[in-house]
Amino acid sequence: MGLSNDRIRFNVGGRIFETTATTLANAGRGSFFGALFDENWNLSQPEDLFIDRNPDCFAVLLDLLRTGDLNIPPNIPERLLHKEAMFYGLIDHLRTAKWGPFDGNRLHLSRSVTGIAPGDGTAIRAGPDGGCCVAHGSVVHVFDWMLEEHPTINLDYQRVNDVGWIDSGNIVLSACERLGRGDGGMGLFSSSSGELRYKFQVSHDNQIKSYSAGALSFSPDSKIFTSCKGRSNEYGIGVWDQITGKQLDFFYESPGWSLGDADKLQWLSGKNCLLVATLFPRKDNCYISLLDFRDKNMVWSWSDIGFLATAEEKRVRDAIAMEESNSICVVNEFEDLGFIDMRMDGGGSSVRWSSRSRLMKSKMPDEPCYPKLALHEGQLFSSMNDSISVFCGSDWVLTSRLKRSYGGSICDFSIGGDRLFALHSEENVFDVWETLPPPII
Amino acid sequence: MSNQKKRNFQIEAFKQRVVVDPKYADKTWKILEHAIHEIYNHNASGLSFEELYRNAYNMVLHKYGDKLYTGLVTTMTFHLKEICKSIEEAQGGAFLELLNRKWNDHNKALQMIRDILMYMDRTYVSTTKKTHVHELGLHLWRDNVVYSSKIQTRLLNTLLDLVHKERTGEVIDRVLMRNVIKMFMDLGESVYQDDFEKPFLEASAEFYKVESMEFIESCDCGEYLKKAEKPLVEEVERVVNYLDAKSEAKITSVVEREMIANHVQRLVHMENSGLVNMLLNDKYEDMGRMYSLFRRVANGLVTVRDVMTLHLREMGKQLVTDPEKSKDPVEFVQRLLDERDKYDRIINMAFNNDKTFQNALNSSFEYFVNLNTRSPEFISLFVDDKLRKGLKGVGEEDVDLILDKVMMLFRYLQEKDVFEKYYKQHLAKRLLSGKTVSDDAERNLIVKLKTECGYQFTSKLEGMFTDMKTSHDTLLGFYNSHPELSEGPTLVVQVLTTGSWPTQPTIQCNLPAEVSVLCEKFRSYYLGTHTGRRLSWQTNMGTADIKAVFGKGQKHELNVSTFQMCVLMLFNNSDRLSYKEIEQATEIPAPDLKRCLQSMACVKGKNVLRKEPMSKEIAEEDWFVVNDRFASKFYKVKIGTVVAQKETEPEKQETRQRVEEDRKPQIEAAIVRIMKSRRVLDHNNIIAEVTKQLQTRFLANPTEIKKRIESLIERDFLERDNTDRKLYRYLA
Repeated sequence: MGLSNDRIRFNVGGRIFETTATTLANAGRGSFFGALFDENWNLSQPEDLFIDRNPDCFAVLLDLLRTGDLNIPPNIPERLLHKEAMFYGLIDHLRTAKWGPFDGNRLHLSRSVTGIAPGDGTAIRAGPDGGCCVAHGSVVHVFDWMLEEHPTINLDYQRVNDVGWIDSGNIVLSACERLGRGDGGMGLFSSSSGELRYKFQVSHDNQIKSYSAGALSFSPDSKIFTSCKGRSNEYGIGVWDQITGKQLDFFYESPGWSLGDADKLQWLSGKNCLLVATLFPRKDNCYISLLDFRDKNMVWSWSDIGFLATAEEKRVRDAIAMEESNSICVVNEFEDLGFIDMRMDGGGSSVRWSSRSRLMKSKMPDEPCYPKLALHEGQLFSSMNDSISVFCGSDWVLTSRLKRSYGGSICDFSIGGDRLFALHSEENVFDVWETLPPPII
Repeated sequence: MSNQKKRNFQIEAFKQRVVVDPKYADKTWKILEHAIHEIYNHNASGLSFEELYRNAYNMVLHKYGDKLYTGLVTTMTFHLKEICKSIEEAQGGAFLELLNRKWNDHNKALQMIRDILMYMDRTYVSTTKKTHVHELGLHLWRDNVVYSSKIQTRLLNTLLDLVHKERTGEVIDRVLMRNVIKMFMDLGESVYQDDFEKPFLEASAEFYKVESMEFIESCDCGEYLKKAEKPLVEEVERVVNYLDAKSEAKITSVVEREMIANHVQRLVHMENSGLVNMLLNDKYEDMGRMYSLFRRVANGLVTVRDVMTLHLREMGKQLVTDPEKSKDPVEFVQRLLDERDKYDRIINMAFNNDKTFQNALNSSFEYFVNLNTRSPEFISLFVDDKLRKGLKGVGEEDVDLILDKVMMLFRYLQEKDVFEKYYKQHLAKRLLSGKTVSDDAERNLIVKLKTECGYQFTSKLEGMFTDMKTSHDTLLGFYNSHPELSEGPTLVVQVLTTGSWPTQPTIQCNLPAEVSVLCEKFRSYYLGTHTGRRLSWQTNMGTADIKAVFGKGQKHELNVSTFQMCVLMLFNNSDRLSYKEIEQATEIPAPDLKRCLQSMACVKGKNVLRKEPMSKEIAEEDWFVVNDRFASKFYKVKIGTVVAQKETEPEKQETRQRVEEDRKPQIEAAIVRIMKSRRVLDHNNIIAEVTKQLQTRFLANPTEIKKRIESLIERDFLERDNTDRKLYRYLA
């Protein structure tokens, strides 16, 4: 019934559009159209509804509401379209239509972003809504999902060691301290304005101490973990609350076991433990341990001390815990994957190296980058030189390889917001990989 | 020079063009401000959403978000102050209604303002971390209206007043109530809790405090409980009708505290209507209500349980220590069973079959059943009574039911070994006299005892049954091998294994020749089929059926004991015998002989003999003749010896002594077992462990345990530690 009542005519910037209220209802109540058709507003329609906006963009957005697909004609600048979508309150619709749910085997290179920062990048981190941040020396460049750059972030312009997203509006940065000045440490920043919102303090024996913050990790119950190096013996892992910003805990480093220098922290929700990995070349040996903060206990540990004489090339360069299979995946500089069983007490027990062909051994690039690992929904990613390999299945079969011609080796990469970001060591460039929207049928 | 000037000029011109006309912002804001006014004045129909939205968008786009936001706060505050004034002026009942109407208006206006300012909400408010428009509107309403000095207390009092009215039975406008309270909830949990819920709970506590005092002064316990039940239901209804669901637990606990918890003691102990009264009169409904109400408050059920326990113990104590009531053992046990049934039913019907109440019941029974040392004997006698005749014509299930109940009492006994002793005696009598009604029932009970106390407890009892069975078979074999015996007197022999049966002194007597010939034949048959055995005759336990013909030709079959048979057989050869002659001929010990003569000569209706001279007692100078004038309307006459129903005082002492004697080796065995595994143990621990190990059979006396330890030390099983005299060592 009332099919004709459903029809609506718009005059957008002089062009007439005809559509239905049903189509516009797809925009949701929190949009321009949702409010427009609310009964509060007296929508007496003597003539066409006039909207003083760009008709070309309206056409694209109307099609988005009609089909759920985004098709941008070449004559429309993306920025303009984003701006129009902001006006109508359709920016979230646009973002979800822009790229599909993440699948490591169906990625395509969406864009490469070149920066103007001097020197090599340190780290790249994907944000939860498709944005990313890149640490370069002492500053962090922040990009939203439209890849528009926001004001940079710095903590007293001290060398940045790691960054991480708490949510799409907040970024945590960890930096080196400057001796005697109390600079550095760890801070919480607004991702859109770049302002410092909170600086995390570490105190020992009720005295506030300056410290260098290293690798970061977050837990779902709003905790921040970072490896800390203080002036004297205050080495270890600090824990803070994301909401109050207060220090909750500190796990002091046990002798001979480097926690304060850790390269990688990973919170394991299932085990209620934190994985801490300190790796070559920061230290001569590799140390991997699982910490239980409830009773301050190192519940599991592994080290390669005394195991290098026979297989010198098999130095662990990165490690990632895979809770589902109760194992830790490690990688060496030739991108050989190895697995350590977390159920057995470590104690230098064997790494089960998978026998992948070592094609790399012959031609190492001039500026090699150490391999990095990432895990995303059952797919394992490992970066090596200028490419990223994707492994699937319980036996971790190599299924895809992401490679791009320029920019040099990949020094870091990150997956989040259904995107993969790869940071190259040369040319100051990072790539954005996206999954295509699902097929029509 | 001119070149430079020109460039300067150019830059300035550029600047002027970039800065948006400040008047533009003012103008745009005026439009939006006007719109907000119109919205609050219910005059929004002429407004164009598209235009307002665009204007708000433009202000934010041109960095006037701040102006827009502060303008919004000012305008909205202005309107809320106006609204506040109008509400303040409202009189009486109109107050709440007006407040509700204005709240609805404000909500609607807020929604429209939010629509217009959607872009600002999404961008400017988010990046500057300001309060979002909707929340801002709620905060301003809260601060300007709800917290206004002239409204805050008035509003609260109005609401509490309405609740009070409803509690006292008036009808109120629940929808209005619901809407206003919903307003508190919408303003945030803390507003609802601090500004409504807390005072509401306080007022409720006061109300129910007064109410409960009134009730308790005017009602008895049962009535009070009925009245206390009501508000609990009503308050839950109230929560459903117009409060936040989270308030249910809080208001319920207030009612529970004021109506129940504060009066637990007084209610339970209320004179003539408290718990004891309910228990006595089986007031299931009242007790059920008390249970379900008291379980809501801490210590409520504990109090009920304690009072019940106290009452039970008092009642039980009276029952078992009243000498009048322990005269008849069967009735005594029946009373116990009746009480148990009564309380079982109470717990089942009123106390929700609560485990803790059942435990209290059991421990109370255990307490008072053992107050009377004769309880084990009486229980055994009760069983004896039931298995002798009481169970005749009763269905198998009912038998089981009665036996189960008896077992329940048995479980309460601390001195289970005493019970065993008596049970054995009574069972032996039943078996030997063939008085047991149902073999199944007997075995059934043995099985129950076995599951309760283990194999050891019943092995001897089972041995008694086996003896009965084998005796039957042996006897068949005996007569098969001696076909010539089918004529003449029949001998029935029960071969009893020594140890399985209650030991009784063997009393020898001279059997009549006819019988002793038979006995000899049986002896040689039995010893011929079994080697290494010894037979001795328990003549004191036998019976005989003899046919007698009296002077006037009346024939009777007399059922007599073996001793009586021996005496009567003497009269086959002579008519008149003196006591001395009888004693000489039979060699029956004097007390037994006297008893057996007494029952044949002095009991009216059973006097087959006549004594000269006539008197009640048997003297050594008496003479006896056959009573020719003996008459009975029955053909079969049973001449019982005077059987002891209840044990006499000396017998009781004897049994007790035997029990004590039997306990000694058991205590010693327990001590040795414990010491063997522990090697070294101090005195107190030994006592505790021994008591624990033996408690399934009896409650060991610490002094006795100490004596046993000393005896074991003498016999070099244990030694005292040289330094610590309280310590004992096990010697292998």
